Amino acid sequence: MKPDHAKDPDLSFIREVLPAFISEAQEQIESLEQLLLQLEDAPGDSELLNALFRCAHTIKGSAGIFGLNRVVAFTHHVESLLDRLREGQIELTPALSTLLLQCNDQLRTLIAQAAAAEEDEAVETRAARAALVERLQATAGASAIAIAIAGQDAAPDPGTPTRASSSRCWHVCAAFGPDTFRNGMDPMALLNYLRGLGEITTLACDSAAVPALDQLDPETCHLAFELDLETGASRDEIEGAFSFVRDDCTLQVLAPDATAEADAGLIDDLPDDPRLGETLLAHAGVSPQLLNAALNKPAQGKPAAPKDPGVEDTSGRYIRVQADRLDAVINLLGELVIAGAGAALLARQTRQSALIEANGQISRLVEEIRNGTLQLRMVPIGETFSRFRRVVRDTAAELGKDVLLDIQGGETELDKSMVERIADPLMHLVRNALDHGLETPEQRLASGKAGQGKLVLSACHDSGSVLIRISDDGQGIQREKVLQRAWERGLVDDGVRPSDADIDKLIFEPGFSTAEKVTNLSGRGVGMDVVRRNIEALRGTVTLHSEPGLGSRIDIRLPLTLAIIDGFLVGVADSKLIFPLDAVVEVIENRAAVSETDERGRGYVELRGQVLPVVSLRALYALEGPEPERTSVVVLQAGGRRYGVRVDQLLGQHQTVIKPLGRMFRSLRGMAGSSILGNGEVALIFDVTALSQLAAEPPGSSARVPRNQAETGHPNRQAHVNHNAHHGRNATFSEQGTTT
Amino acid sequence: MARRTQANTAMPLALPAELTIYTVGELHPQWLAWLQQGAASAPAELQAAAVEQVDGAGLQLLLSLSRALAERGRALRIHSPSEVLRSGCAALGLNAWLQGHAEPGVAA
Repeated sequence: MKPDHAKDPDLSFIREVLPAFISEAQEQIESLEQLLLQLEDAPGDSELLNALFRCAHTIKGSAGIFGLNRVVAFTHHVESLLDRLREGQIELTPALSTLLLQCNDQLRTLIAQAAAAEEDEAVETRAARAALVERLQATAGASAIAIAIAGQDAAPDPGTPTRASSSRCWHVCAAFGPDTFRNGMDPMALLNYLRGLGEITTLACDSAAVPALDQLDPETCHLAFELDLETGASRDEIEGAFSFVRDDCTLQVLAPDATAEADAGLIDDLPDDPRLGETLLAHAGVSPQLLNAALNKPAQGKPAAPKDPGVEDTSGRYIRVQADRLDAVINLLGELVIAGAGAALLARQTRQSALIEANGQISRLVEEIRNGTLQLRMVPIGETFSRFRRVVRDTAAELGKDVLLDIQGGETELDKSMVERIADPLMHLVRNALDHGLETPEQRLASGKAGQGKLVLSACHDSGSVLIRISDDGQGIQREKVLQRAWERGLVDDGVRPSDADIDKLIFEPGFSTAEKVTNLSGRGVGMDVVRRNIEALRGTVTLHSEPGLGSRIDIRLPLTLAIIDGFLVGVADSKLIFPLDAVVEVIENRAAVSETDERGRGYVELRGQVLPVVSLRALYALEGPEPERTSVVVLQAGGRRYGVRVDQLLGQHQTVIKPLGRMFRSLRGMAGSSILGNGEVALIFDVTALSQLAAEPPGSSARVPRNQAETGHPNRQAHVNHNAHHGRNATFSEQGTTT
Repeated sequence: MARRTQANTAMPLALPAELTIYTVGELHPQWLAWLQQGAASAPAELQAAAVEQVDGAGLQLLLSLSRALAERGRALRIHSPSEVLRSGCAALGLNAWLQGHAEPGVAA
């Protein structure tokens, strides 16, 4: 059916499923890009070429169903070119690869237009597209003259020799439906697609149904084909080729070992057109008697092409769910966790063991549901990483650099919203590394390095958080330049020379840029401080390590999820505080409180013969209340360091739903958030990495840290907390919490 | 676009560069007019060297023309079919049809 003229039910159907198409098309476009980039490394890889063609084909096919004519028309040209590539008629040159990437960008724009339901488009966009089409045609056309091929004699795909060994001869009959052309499909492209699966040994076009010119509607398809396909592909794969025309196409795929009876069944299902039967007779060697028997049967109300549920199976393994529905469930689950904790508390107070046990059972189930639900939101970060292949390729080319991008740990999973929000900061950091870190091949060779620079993007799980690392083997931070600039801008007092690490951190300061010439990539000096802010907004931290001449490494640490964590609840004075359980290594119970501490509550304890820095929360945050005789030490691990935190009470494990801190307390960056306990009390959640930086600092050093040189991840935090502590002005935490 | 076909009686029909779903709607009336003007029993001549793009819809239009000519008892001669047209026919399983009409004959 032609969508433009579709009746109302169809229109509403299209409206409903269009978002699904859009998101699928976006995925296809992403994979197109990845495939194109992979193909650059392995030109002529037939698997890649076939996959590429399939992607374009899928976009075109489904766009046709939705009547997105611009997409269909444009993709058609891309597809034609890809087809030539696949047939080996043209070579993938870097220029062609760039053209195809640009076409992919255009496709992305078109899909965005479709998503925004834009009917009109700017003249420039249309002109840009027309220019691309022209180049596509020029590329495809130029090659066509040079090479003579006969599709029928097309050599079997050289890249898939394995198929030949197990290939079998399938017999395929396909009568295309009248709307095939209007839906953007082309039988020729489809046949060429089949050639990608194997070798078409015989092919007959049945043009009997094509009317004479005076009765023809040129946009109605009357073509039918019969062919023998020698391939190792499965029935599903063969039928899958027809998936976009399946609805109005009569398709029969006859297995190689099909019996004569099945042949007759095939003839049965064909349209009442004796000529097709004749072709079958000629090609498939069906006995005339059998043929006659089948053709002479009275036409019964035979079904259209039988639908094979197996075809749908590959896509049926995924269910697309709207993100806000999932969010609603997760929100409810947060409430459930809080309510559950409340019930557990009440149950414990009753001291009825049966009730406590039943409650424990419920808690376990709730926890399982929680884990399962949060898992639904987890996506591998690799998809985001691989987007950078294109960035690296284009940027490096623009800067005249040769850079190899290495992606590691792409399967590491992270909350979807986190993945979306980390993409921009990552992009900045990658560009920055390309622009400032990595040198041109000449510079590299001159300093005794390989001409090709290396950029590594990696991700891994590390003590309850995700560690994303961007490292390069470039020139590192040029500290002299940074210092010079810092002096100029008054970020550091003239002549003062902070430690190397502190100099490195300066690049995260607002308005800082050392690029000698401002490129349009980075170097406008708006990058790194924004990057840091964005990462901190995700409760993450960013640290930088640099070796002059050897390269830089940027570590981004992110929490796994933004919603719920397993917490370890402790009490100090009247306040309840929570550490993420993943960070808790062990607990030393009932240590005598006597120990040397400085005015900020920092000291050391001995743990199995090792010195462990310990920070006392009571002293650090000036919490008021009688000091108990014995305290406990919670040993935490964060950022590769271990340290202890002295607390009054250990209250055990607690499912913690993270609520953001109110606006007033945003500046209190040592806190990751707050949570409501089962009894309605508010507990603050610690950011253990930030706390570790406090604990590890040599006592008394913070006072001498120059302005603007607070810890990279958490600027001004110590100053802030200290300030409050010294003047005894801070309220207790529970009071702060309740006001949020 | 400079692909207006000549509708003169004696003139051979010049196939356009693009013979696809995007042009068949425009070509159909032109070809019909050309068909109607042709003298009965005179062979119909097609000039096919310029074809640079074909697809299923385009070839179907050719087939349809071929059938209309056959009904009128006129022969169809396709002169110097371009490489694209040949490979298009091959891809669609129309090799035999093209060979039957091509002028000069297409080497298999």
